[in-house]
Amino acid sequence: MILRANLKEAARSLLSSKQRTILALIGIVIGIGSVIAMVSVGKIVQEESLRQFREMGTDILTIEKDMGGGPDSKPGGGAPGPGAALRLADILAIPGACPGIDTVAPMARGGGEISFNGKKLEQAGALGVTESFLGINKLKIGQGRFLTDMDEQSRYCVIGNAVANQMPQLGGGQPIGGKIRIGDNLFTVIGVLKPVPEGGMRRFEPNTSILIHITTGMRAFVNAEIGSVTAHVRTGVSNKTAGEQVKAHFTAKAKGLSVRVTSPEEVVAQMEKQMQMFTLLLGAIGSISLIVGGVGVMNVMLVSVTERRREIGIRRALGAKRGDIRGQFLIESVILSLVGGLLGILFGVGASRIIAHFAHWQFALSTSAILLGVGVSNAVGVFFGYYPARQASLLDPIVALKSD
Amino acid sequence: MLMLQDIRKSYRIGPTEVEVLKGVTLEIQRGELIAIMGPSGCGKSTLMNIIGLLDRPTSGRFLIDGSEVSYADDDALSEIRNQRIGFVFQQYFLLSRLTAIENVELPLVYRGDAHRFTRERSMELLRRVGMEERAAHRPSELSGGQQQRVAIARALVGKPSLILADEPTGALDTQVGHEIMELFRTLNREDGITVVIITHDPGIAAQCDRSAVMQDGVIVQ
Repeated sequence: MILRANLKEAARSLLSSKQRTILALIGIVIGIGSVIAMVSVGKIVQEESLRQFREMGTDILTIEKDMGGGPDSKPGGGAPGPGAALRLADILAIPGACPGIDTVAPMARGGGEISFNGKKLEQAGALGVTESFLGINKLKIGQGRFLTDMDEQSRYCVIGNAVANQMPQLGGGQPIGGKIRIGDNLFTVIGVLKPVPEGGMRRFEPNTSILIHITTGMRAFVNAEIGSVTAHVRTGVSNKTAGEQVKAHFTAKAKGLSVRVTSPEEVVAQMEKQMQMFTLLLGAIGSISLIVGGVGVMNVMLVSVTERRREIGIRRALGAKRGDIRGQFLIESVILSLVGGLLGILFGVGASRIIAHFAHWQFALSTSAILLGVGVSNAVGVFFGYYPARQASLLDPIVALKSD
Repeated sequence: MLMLQDIRKSYRIGPTEVEVLKGVTLEIQRGELIAIMGPSGCGKSTLMNIIGLLDRPTSGRFLIDGSEVSYADDDALSEIRNQRIGFVFQQYFLLSRLTAIENVELPLVYRGDAHRFTRERSMELLRRVGMEERAAHRPSELSGGQQQRVAIARALVGKPSLILADEPTGALDTQVGHEIMELFRTLNREDGITVVIITHDPGIAAQCDRSAVMQDGVIVQ
């Protein structure tokens, strides 16, 4: 059969000019490999974010002051204006006022120099929080204890794992009992958080945080302001209902202050949109190398056609139709691209595995990326092989027979 | 079985038109062994291309087995070449990557015949030309005479009604050339195959039943 003969012939022809075949393969392997690696890394990141997100729970709302841009934040009209802030009392009143919310955890970011033993602590940020903060953010205590609401106005702090790890290098012993300076105040460490994987859905980085009670924070921090509040929605209540209640609460309590309530669904939707853009971008970058690889295939096929002009003439004399010749060369370029594609898939999956390993992401084999690789390499073979194959099929048999 | 009537062929080389065939009329009977002879440049290669359906005449009629063929489309010409014509070339033109038997099979492959059948039939033909021992060898492992025998087997494998041989002994020494001519004569005598041999060698022409002599684009005798 023609197909069988063509497959055999293509394999032979590719093997007979090994060097050229290998060079073309490298191009295709890198092209397909980078597309696969990019797409699969995109997928891994997406799944990783979603996984972390699910760990956080889908019943968490984030409440922030609306910084403007929204339709309900018109300046003037007796409103407190942009200077208005979320007040701690109003926040703590939420569970009482809104039946849909059972817990709230406000958070205030602190400025000022942070040091230990007189030396600056790199990568550390102070946060003012409440007792509910630990549970609502799904954090765990590694050593010591967490802050309670009995620690109001106290000079205690709980530190993240990365902060604790810095302390021995700065001449400290046990982290518990150590004294950390934030601005002008000294805080005694009473607990250390368990390490948390990086890059979660939280609005802060737990590993590098120094947590103090929010009441202390409001006094100790320069320009202290409550940036955001995390609220836990009561079981059986929809995020939307709870969100409406929170908005209504603030409208009643603080005239003119508008808040923005973000639900996990919105975050996920936003995130997926961003990830899609990200994956698309990565795919586009990969495609460029794929085109380069494809041009390599075309080049090899054109050389192959030129070198085998006489062969083409002989085949035509023996009764091969133009379509037979075109098919023969197309099969050859598709085989070349498919072999390159398969190697590229291995290369791409391997590369994404290595990236995932070093970024501490959970590796996931993406079947769609593999299907994409096989499909794309096939398409590259057909697309970039068609022109040379057509050139071969259009050769005049007499001219082809005379060439050497 | 072959009928050429006033075949003309001209090529355009730059601004001038060169007429290579100036009205060739020739009739070849079934089972004939005929030589087309003439000095180089007389147009015999062009004539062979037209008879072999590798080229189309500018004007004139060309009939195989009574049907007009030379103006058919490319695919149809390919099919007629495949079914009815067996080519033998001066340079053998075997495909170097294929073994002898795979070379012989080629015309059948393009017919779409099943592998088992093509193998059997090709082996039969290799036996006929005395090359069955070399079926698995590649052309580079064969002598010129052996390669030409394989090429003849390839020409015969599709049971053509016509063998068209272009200087089949031109690249061989006299002794081997004689053997190849002997093979053509045997095939012609025993199987009744029509053989057309294009040559410039009067010695070869003398071994044929009949010879047509070409000069300057026409057949002179």
